[in-house]
Amino acid sequence: MVKKMKWSVLAFLLALSAGWAQAQEKEQGTVISEVNMYVSPDSSGQQLARATRGRNVILVMDRTTIAGRSWAHVLVVVDVDIERQSERQISGWVPANVLITTATPNGDQIIYGEAVDSEIQAQERGGRRHAAEDAMRLFYRLYEYFPSSPLAGEALWRAADIRWQREKGDVRLRPSSREMDPNMREGMDDQTLKLVIKKFPHTKWADLASFDLIDNKLCGSWKGETKCPEKESELYEKYAREHPQSPKANEALFNAAWRQAALVDMYKASHENDKSEKARRKSMELAQEIAAHAQEGDWKPQALELMYALQQGIPTYDVENKKPIS
Amino acid sequence: MVNVWKQAGLVLIMLCAAMCSAADKEHGTLIREATLYASPGANSATLVQAERGSDLTILEKSNADNQTWAKVYVTLQQGQQTRELTGWAPAKAIITPSTANGDQIIFGQAVASEHQAEERGGRKQAAQDAMQLYARVPQLFPGSPLAAEAMWRSADIRWQLAKADFLRSGTQLEERYLKEVMARFPQSKQAELAAYDLLEAKLCPEWRGMAECPEKESALFEQYTREHPQSAKAAEALYNAAWRQAALADIYRIENETAKSEAARKKALALAQQVAGQYAQGDWKPRAADLVYKLEKKIPVYGQTVE
Repeated sequence: MVKKMKWSVLAFLLALSAGWAQAQEKEQGTVISEVNMYVSPDSSGQQLARATRGRNVILVMDRTTIAGRSWAHVLVVVDVDIERQSERQISGWVPANVLITTATPNGDQIIYGEAVDSEIQAQERGGRRHAAEDAMRLFYRLYEYFPSSPLAGEALWRAADIRWQREKGDVRLRPSSREMDPNMREGMDDQTLKLVIKKFPHTKWADLASFDLIDNKLCGSWKGETKCPEKESELYEKYAREHPQSPKANEALFNAAWRQAALVDMYKASHENDKSEKARRKSMELAQEIAAHAQEGDWKPQALELMYALQQGIPTYDVENKKPIS
Repeated sequence: MVNVWKQAGLVLIMLCAAMCSAADKEHGTLIREATLYASPGANSATLVQAERGSDLTILEKSNADNQTWAKVYVTLQQGQQTRELTGWAPAKAIITPSTANGDQIIFGQAVASEHQAEERGGRKQAAQDAMQLYARVPQLFPGSPLAAEAMWRSADIRWQLAKADFLRSGTQLEERYLKEVMARFPQSKQAELAAYDLLEAKLCPEWRGMAECPEKESALFEQYTREHPQSAKAAEALYNAAWRQAALADIYRIENETAKSEAARKKALALAQQVAGQYAQGDWKPRAADLVYKLEKKIPVYGQTVE
């Protein structure tokens, strides 16, 4: 009985590993150009759907060459209703030349290059429509299908950041975006940024993702209340202390210093001179730290300008109109 | 007769003294916009609002309202109008060559204004403020280590703003400021960036499917890379040259000029491979790899996708 069981466990394990190996061999990828999907490998045949850049090709089922042209039979996750953002899988034939899969030499570089192109398109005046979404999907596919590529960490971070910035833009349009308490508004979905931190811990990408995540904890509007800049200054300083190697460390420290400078004016207006003086000292201390450590780049001059404003009593916050002096 | 000569001499001496005195006056700029008043003190009549980065000549100083005030001479550009006037402003917002770290302070405010200009809902005219502030750094602090960078940034902002105007109204681009960067800081990183900006004036506004535009532009970008191999824009220029050759391959293919199309394709491949080989860091290597793949697989980069 025991022997029989042993054999069945072994057989089960073998089957499992064979299935796993098959899954590993499964050819998957994405398209680097917008293409029509056809019922058959023939561009004059019936069209099924249009696959945009970065769509998830979850399976390459077949390949063929007809009249010198290569075709691939693929199973793709496509958008069928952009408004509802619903997705479904669809199978069809696409020209094989636009299909980049795990089997394509330099596939990671090609997808990444196309993602960068799409990102540039998205930033250009009159650039291609939905180019930002294309870039986001392409970057994500690279991470998904080439997880050991040297570009994977940066690609996942860029995909997550594009998603984050797009959502931030949407959130800003909602009336709740002006809520002082961040808990009173719907924040951005932090799932992909958290994935960056989880998959690439202690990297530059994780540091950058952590910096983005601070956005969800900031007040929508200060409304002249000191608790907002107090809390935000603390958040930024904490970030700078916890991520001293981050490319965003100086920016975080400057943000903390700047918020303390705003507190100087807020407390002064409410005649809380001690608190105002304390905020001034804290702001100076933080700005001096930046000026001492940031030898390269723009943060040192910005810190020195802030120090000058503090020394001369030039306000940084318009208490009357309850807004920062930009 | 002798008296006439004496009088003329006196007038000349007085004129010279006045000119020397004006030249001796300290120059400065504002790091915050400031209201100019008729006399020192915030209760006096207001004259005009002077913007950040305004070029000021400080004529005298006085104390009022527990702070120092400066009488300044300022030239204000308001649209097509130029106003020259004198007025009083709080001295604390004025940075002069005698201000400690003055170059860094002006540069810092210029950076902050540039960020404002890029932000959604940022301060109006912030880009112009940044442009003026950067321009003051080499003017007031010619020996500053920030002078070249500031002069380049000012010229670049001016160029980008003019480019937007050009696209809207066809106003001619003025090359003077970028050329000044190249003349004052030759062989510098900033001179190379200025030379790259200047290429834009030579590009076609629209190709309209004509081969001559990408031909000419590809040659321009390739020449830039040859002449500025150390430039921060060298990889971008070489990629642009390659991409234009790839576009040419498509244009010639559409025109059924097979030999020319193939020659352009080969040239594009060579240039893209050069990008991938020479510039391993940053985004240019993957972008070149993507272009190489498209050229090898004959995926069009210009015009309609053929299926």
